[in-house]
Amino acid sequence: MRTVTELAGTGGPRGIFDELSKREVRRAALTAVAVPGYQVPFGSREMPVARGWGSGGLQVTLALVGPGDRLKVIDQGEDGGVNAANLRRLVVGHVGCEEETDTRRATLIQSRHRIPETPLRADQTLVLQVPVPEPLRAVEHDVREQRRMHAQEDYARMWVGLYEDLVRNGVVTKSAGYPCMVNGRYLISPTPIPRFDVPKLDQAEHLTLFGAGREKRIYAVPPHTRVEPLVFEDVPFEVEHTPGAACRHCGATASYLVEVPSMDGAVAWVCSDTDFCTRNREVR
Amino acid sequence: MGYSGASGGHEAVLAAEKLVERRRYGGASAWLGIDQITGRLGLAVDRVMGEGGLWAPELAARALRQAEGDVQEAAQLIRAHRSTVPRVAYSEPVHADELRISRRISPAFRNPPGSQLLGRTLDYVGRLLDLMPEDQARARLQAADPSPEPVPAAHDLTANGHPTANDHVTANGHPTANDHVTGNGHEAGGHDGGAHGDPRRPPRLLRLLRSMGMVVDRRTEGDPEPYDITRAPIRPGVPRSARLTAMARAETGALVHLWYANTFQPGRHNHEFPGEVRHGALPVRVRHPLTGAPVTVTEVRVTEVETIDDLDRAEEDRSRLDLGYGMCFGHNERKAIAMAGLDLLVHRDAGRTGVEQEVLLTLDGIEASGFLEHLKLPHYVDFRSVLDRKRAVRAAMEEAVAR
Repeated sequence: MRTVTELAGTGGPRGIFDELSKREVRRAALTAVAVPGYQVPFGSREMPVARGWGSGGLQVTLALVGPGDRLKVIDQGEDGGVNAANLRRLVVGHVGCEEETDTRRATLIQSRHRIPETPLRADQTLVLQVPVPEPLRAVEHDVREQRRMHAQEDYARMWVGLYEDLVRNGVVTKSAGYPCMVNGRYLISPTPIPRFDVPKLDQAEHLTLFGAGREKRIYAVPPHTRVEPLVFEDVPFEVEHTPGAACRHCGATASYLVEVPSMDGAVAWVCSDTDFCTRNREVR
Repeated sequence: MGYSGASGGHEAVLAAEKLVERRRYGGASAWLGIDQITGRLGLAVDRVMGEGGLWAPELAARALRQAEGDVQEAAQLIRAHRSTVPRVAYSEPVHADELRISRRISPAFRNPPGSQLLGRTLDYVGRLLDLMPEDQARARLQAADPSPEPVPAAHDLTANGHPTANDHVTANGHPTANDHVTGNGHEAGGHDGGAHGDPRRPPRLLRLLRSMGMVVDRRTEGDPEPYDITRAPIRPGVPRSARLTAMARAETGALVHLWYANTFQPGRHNHEFPGEVRHGALPVRVRHPLTGAPVTVTEVRVTEVETIDDLDRAEEDRSRLDLGYGMCFGHNERKAIAMAGLDLLVHRDAGRTGVEQEVLLTLDGIEASGFLEHLKLPHYVDFRSVLDRKRAVRAAMEEAVAR
């Protein structure tokens, strides 16, 4: 009895998450690292943000973060967006760690839909928020059948789906969240990061943890792990690219650019990674 | 820049928060007391506790006030609050027969064993908007019921759990108007289902049906620990206890919808008969950390339903009936009846359709509305990817035409 109470601790001044639950998340994350790409079920707690708003990423971040960390939170590549700002203040207010926007100085990065342009190092951890973790949902509705398919590495229907897509549309139409094989064994949905970011997961220096709060699963791509998009040998993997597009702020052409349309039809492009863009402007 | 500009998100969030606080704490009307919410909006408080999965009337009332009356949002607040507190002990199992009823009806028989106790229900109160001025209504109540005993708050269970002194047992004629059954006179092991004639613990219809040989017996050996859906994720194939817990925390409207949609499926010629609809108080016992003896620490109110359905499938025992079970926090009969119906439906479905998965994974209001509302978040990184593919398809089509 006393041990449990001791373990439970006194909790922070404004508690979000009790210590025993953080331990559970850490255990799941360790399992996820040990079996790359396998979706580890965990008893996901409700967070002070709604389900679908990063409750899984938040649990992973809270289980990892300490007062000595420098935390960067981005949404769509931005540090300053409403959702990123909200999650950052929640964690920083809870843990008392440092806020960081510079990718190079951050020790822990929670992100929604992007991997930063600046390559991450071995001493950095990326936490991706996951709205829908199951790549097989595209071809199979039944959860039990999905689990069987993963267990037996039976991804035949994914290949058939890819083939049909190609035949019907002339190109592979899957946009963000492109299904990938991890370590040649498990198929994952790399969250809706653009296809542009998928190569950054392959043989990366850093650890990536994926937290799906609503679906109660955690999975991982450990450092130096193969991550291969599901493609046919003779149909190359295409990433988002628009010929001639360059960031109107920093001039970058090799970063992930998002459109800024206007009603007169003129289209401008800007970097989605605002930290990268700001530093790139200073360089110029 | 507001919503998603390169900067300014923090300021926008703070400004939005200020507007929320202005609504919450500002305005000219009198401050809404917690006691007013528990006392006057008891059914809403019950829903918040049920969907939030925590028995805490005052916290639920606080959540409801903070959420400006949005039950769903209040339930989310309660769930997030649960995450902040460590779990230091587990309560002892209690038998549902210990339920001390304040209402019990059994529509399947005219005079079922035990009593029909109508209790407090809106069922037969005219569904008309009451336009009588409040002071007149209060005066009329006073004149009709000059009892000096104050009406206890809806959540006050220490006063022996009788919401009013006007309960009338309609069958068997037991004197009940003021029978104060003591709360602690009935400790563990004594759940005899009214064998001693305690009108507040009437026997179950199920026992009668069993003695008539009318129900299939689905009792299994052993007494496994219930599946804790807050500690282990729920997915198809989990034991029945997980299904029941999930439905007990489900959103009422979602349960009602799913039950309703399935009630009119082809091949279903009849609806089920609730054998029991009960509302009452159950003791919560924990083991004393020093003596190890179970101690009653509080009571919770629950609605309990046992619903009966015909068995008519080829592989079923068509000479018998089967039973579905529902129980949820507070007074919410709609929820408990739908839950019992779906419990039985999932059992009878036996994996034929996707109804089990639907019950387990789609009825949680916090999850469903959270996912729905996340659509409002910025999505321009993936939307750009979608446009990229649309352009690629168009280019491929044009190329195909040109060839």
